[in-house]
Amino acid sequence: MSPNNQEPLVLLLAGGVGSRLNNLVQSRAKPAVPFAGIYRIIDFSLSNVMNSDFSQVGVLTQYKPLSLMRHIGTGAAWDFTGRTRGVKILPPRTGARDSDWYKGTADAVRQNIDFIKAHPSPEVIILSGDHIYSMDLDDMLQVHRRKEADMTVATMVVPREQIKEFGTAITDSDGRIVEWEEKPAHPRTDLASMGIYVINTSYLLHTLETYRTDMDFGKDTIPRAIATDRVYAYPFRGYWRDVGTIQAYWEANMDVLRPAPPITPAAWGIRPNPEADGLPSDRCPARFIGAGRATNSLIAASCLIEGTVINSVLSPGVWVGPGAVVRDSILFHDCLVAAEAEIDLAILDKRVTVGARAVVGCGAEEEKQQANRKYPQHLYTGISLIGKGAQIPSETRIGRNCIVSPGRRVADFPHQVIASGESV
Amino acid sequence: MPQRKPKVLAVVLAGGRVDELSVLTAHRPKSAVPFGGFARVIDFPLSNLMHSGLELVGVLSQYRSFSLINHIGIGASWDMIGRYRGVFVLPPYQGFGQSSWYRGSADAVRQNLDFIQFHNPETILIISGDHVYHMDYREIIAYHRHKDADCTMACVEVPWSKAHRFGVAEIGDEDGEVGGRVLQYREKPEVPASNWASMTVYCFKPRVLYDLLEANAREDESFEFGRDIIPRAMVGHKKVYGYKFTGYWGYTRTIEEYWQTSMDLLGVEPRLSLCRWGIRTNLDHRGIRDCQPLKVGEEGEISNSLVYNGCLVEGRVENSILFPGVQVKAGAVVRNSVLFFDNVVGKGACLDKVVSDVNVTVGEEVRIGGQTSAGDKPEDQASAPLVGSLLAGAPVAEPTGVTVLGWNNQIPAGMVIGAGCTLYPALGPEKMTRSRISDGEVVR
Repeated sequence: MSPNNQEPLVLLLAGGVGSRLNNLVQSRAKPAVPFAGIYRIIDFSLSNVMNSDFSQVGVLTQYKPLSLMRHIGTGAAWDFTGRTRGVKILPPRTGARDSDWYKGTADAVRQNIDFIKAHPSPEVIILSGDHIYSMDLDDMLQVHRRKEADMTVATMVVPREQIKEFGTAITDSDGRIVEWEEKPAHPRTDLASMGIYVINTSYLLHTLETYRTDMDFGKDTIPRAIATDRVYAYPFRGYWRDVGTIQAYWEANMDVLRPAPPITPAAWGIRPNPEADGLPSDRCPARFIGAGRATNSLIAASCLIEGTVINSVLSPGVWVGPGAVVRDSILFHDCLVAAEAEIDLAILDKRVTVGARAVVGCGAEEEKQQANRKYPQHLYTGISLIGKGAQIPSETRIGRNCIVSPGRRVADFPHQVIASGESV
Repeated sequence: MPQRKPKVLAVVLAGGRVDELSVLTAHRPKSAVPFGGFARVIDFPLSNLMHSGLELVGVLSQYRSFSLINHIGIGASWDMIGRYRGVFVLPPYQGFGQSSWYRGSADAVRQNLDFIQFHNPETILIISGDHVYHMDYREIIAYHRHKDADCTMACVEVPWSKAHRFGVAEIGDEDGEVGGRVLQYREKPEVPASNWASMTVYCFKPRVLYDLLEANAREDESFEFGRDIIPRAMVGHKKVYGYKFTGYWGYTRTIEEYWQTSMDLLGVEPRLSLCRWGIRTNLDHRGIRDCQPLKVGEEGEISNSLVYNGCLVEGRVENSILFPGVQVKAGAVVRNSVLFFDNVVGKGACLDKVVSDVNVTVGEEVRIGGQTSAGDKPEDQASAPLVGSLLAGAPVAEPTGVTVLGWNNQIPAGMVIGAGCTLYPALGPEKMTRSRISDGEVVR
């Protein structure tokens, strides 16, 4: 007898490409993108599962899973180790019939039916590893059980102008979903699906095996199920962000800096995994020396601050040299900003080096409207994006909405000036 | 069959209290005292061992050992887990024949000879868990083996004025700057003949050590390596060598030394660099792995300081070290101070030259240390002879100018506490009814 046989099995969908995050997802899946200095996006989902006291988790990966797998490790950071606890990585597998990549959320779960059957539990909770939020999944489970639902969908109210990116629900007075529209052009409701589902295991297995052409829960399964089965909405009220775009990602990081911040990772019980980087020693405290100062910022361990940091988020190991200024920016691990360089409204991926007196993010206010020419849908609010390990030469001036691809070396910079909207 | 068992067994002496550290060692041994903004003193020797590839370790612990045992955990933080790796905490025990507390460092090792002999090492490395330094023990071990020595001790040059506090060795010229035969050894001599002080880092040939320990147990009244074992080795004409260590050695046996060694971590070119050699600590201890990054508020200002994750700074911090979870509220000033885990400094409070143990809450507008008075203590107290025994007796109030706050204290709003004061841990509210504590006072 399993001691936790009343506990649901959790499947975390972590395969998302998140292509609008541009070169932040060139070498990692979206759930593995760093957030708020020391976290990765998936830490929020994993910690929510831990804080809900669920301990059996499968993580479905697909796209560039390496940094995600290293980050999850044994799962000890989220207390998923022990005889009756565990986090398993479930990569796509080739088999006699299941020989294709995941074609959608339902397809991904279907391809792991053996895992579900090997972990008998009354319900399966399916969630995405892509979102920044804090939620008690156990409360959702209890509501699901009280309503004797076959399936429960977490929903929240979103502004009308954003709702066309979501699956939307119209409910009756009991919370039962009576109508469903996937990404409607003319929405009739502001209740959006968060992509979090509690589904009775027997119902899930039956559905997946009966309707084998269903590829996606939102597109295929739910619209069909609401007609005949008990599908309920669970209303979530709180902070939730998809951070699927560069602008949304930047804003959510800045939300951590606000005076009464809507995101408080430590208070939410969100756990990072500082050991996943495999460093030979632990990060020591952040050092402020000389004229180094910081205001309204998040500064992680082992940063060395000799310049000025304003309204910014610094991951561990960032060096801000003497006279350098970092403003309204997000710098990932081990970036080096040399003396008198300036970073304004930019995101620097890991190990970017910025040469002395270089400027990243220069140009007047109106240049912030000048979208990136190659990716106008990705960068259009002024943020410049510097890829992992890029080396910006000294004295270079990089404008607004610029992209520097990962690994660019000094010799790759044709000019000393990269105009707003250009890419290297 | 290839021999995979380690040839060196390390034994860490971590059981002692060190009375002069006053309230900082009221509830933990010296080795578990927090140091460096996130770590504990013992992290230095343990990280040294790890970087030296010595991962089979016994830790002798006696005084209030919970904090130490909790910190060491299963040893995973220093990669000391595996088939031939491990860190074993060895507390005193009741035996079939005799039972006693550890009567000294040598007695502690002797009582655990079964553990040592079980591992059957070729070389035994005995080190103190109380000191802050970076050292590659492979070098002293190589020297020890090269010389085919019975015992090799690491020595460091200390100021002549302080040499009387240490075991000092006269080292022959045999190998110049590397070391040489120990010609003479004196424990805490009134008139030192050398200023090469023993660091309490010893390599022993196992057989020699066993014999010395047995003789010591049979014939002596005191059971310390520095006071008894090394002099015995000298008298017995054993091959005792001195290995000269030239790096930084933080000997933090008084509050003033603790404070000074902490200040040595600050500045552009710190005398002691935490990052260069690499320190590991147990990130699970007090859950510091889960702290979010330091948050500096709109009005926050930090200069020349070390601040770890989990801190919230809305006031001003200068020349200070903040451990995880410290909050400095708006308008507060923290200067030249070391604040351990989870201190809260209230609005408008001002701290200068304070060492504050864990979970201290400082009320609004409190003033501690610094310019609260004209300073009625002479400046050169640090060089005055130590009062009291090193081994026993009540803690001595150190008239050094550093005010030390024991753990779990709540300092009421508006209180003024002078320089060089000592507040015992967890003083009840009835002890906190005064509006002022004068310079040098001890409140218990």
